[in-house]
Amino acid sequence: MSALVADRLSHWFGSEPALDSVDLVVDRGDHVAILGENGAGKTTLLRILATAMRPSSGKLEIMGLDALRERRRLRGRIGYLAHAPGLYPALTAAENLAFFCDLRGADRERVPEMLDLAGLSEVARKRASELSRGMQQRLAIARAVLHDPLLLILDEPDASLDAEGSELLVRVMKDRTTVLATHDQALATRLCQRTVVLRKGRVLGAGSRLRVVQ
Amino acid sequence: MSEWRTRELVPALAQFVVLALVIANFGFQIDSRNASAIAPGVLWLALVFAGLIAFGRAFAAEREQATLEAMLMTGAPASAIFAGKALAAGLLLVVCEAVLLPALGLLFGVDVSAGLVGAVLLATIGMAALGCLFAAMVAQLRARELLLPLLTLPLWIPFIVAGGQAVQSAMGGSGAFDQAVKLLLDFDILFVVLTSLAARFVLDD
Repeated sequence: MSALVADRLSHWFGSEPALDSVDLVVDRGDHVAILGENGAGKTTLLRILATAMRPSSGKLEIMGLDALRERRRLRGRIGYLAHAPGLYPALTAAENLAFFCDLRGADRERVPEMLDLAGLSEVARKRASELSRGMQQRLAIARAVLHDPLLLILDEPDASLDAEGSELLVRVMKDRTTVLATHDQALATRLCQRTVVLRKGRVLGAGSRLRVVQ
Repeated sequence: MSEWRTRELVPALAQFVVLALVIANFGFQIDSRNASAIAPGVLWLALVFAGLIAFGRAFAAEREQATLEAMLMTGAPASAIFAGKALAAGLLLVVCEAVLLPALGLLFGVDVSAGLVGAVLLATIGMAALGCLFAAMVAQLRARELLLPLLTLPLWIPFIVAGGQAVQSAMGGSGAFDQAVKLLLDFDILFVVLTSLAARFVLDD
């Protein structure tokens, strides 16, 4: 069974098409990179795949479930990193993770484990607003895998990340089906076996270690 | 917890309600004959404006920080998230009331009885539920400061009317206190249930 099957996904913002009949199949264990320039529709596609928003039309099946009907159930199995980190600035790194542990019904013992994974143990008691942008991104990545999800949807996970942060990405993606959006072709080639190129909401090309036609 | 750490909103709201009372005290030339007639109106005026600020900020901050989507993506029920936000915003208003009511007693010379406090708290429950629902609806819009009062105030009127009757009665004025409190309770139950059901459609696309 494929991890994810998107069939003619389309989305409009008013009369503006953001996605136009996008088909995508991701097998279990696959790492797929979505490439495209600004405004290509990468974030819109990822938000739909993560069940954060509904498409205007089309079908989406994730792990055998209809993603449009079983959104809440699927959210327990998906780890989503949005464009913005979505952290509470007044809470510490540890408190942010603890809060989301509680929301997910996960054991709070995961918090020190995740902080260690993200290399943030030393700044666990610092407020999120006091962390650098790269540290906030690492914290957001740690939060995305707090509940040990089967599927990862990552929107520009490499934003503001240093080399250590990039290694974190490799670690969290290991043994997890992943769809990530990035501008960085080198990262896409390094981390993913397949790439899909979007332009103006349409799939321009797809393949293994794709050479992007300029 | 964020508000406890930053203390951004509570001092501003407390200052606002006290200023409203002070201005009303000078503006209406309060004396012992008219205090119990004017005080309920001033009380609700201060509470309504404080509530609009408190509830508006509740969801605007979540949208700005992108934390509302992060909460929804955990799979937690939207109604539970909404209940948490409404409770937190309601508590903010209760803290304001803890400043407002003693100040009302001091400046207007009215008796702040348990009945008065109870009536205000009952009205706060329903106002918090409605205020937070509409705040969640308008949080993404640029004209949210304009739209929130337009949407919220008409539905707050039952609470202001029943609450005003209860408060006036508690201050020794005319009116049936028990009847007004029962009405407040009915409104609370109605609007808490309705807003909980509506929350899923408002918070989650």
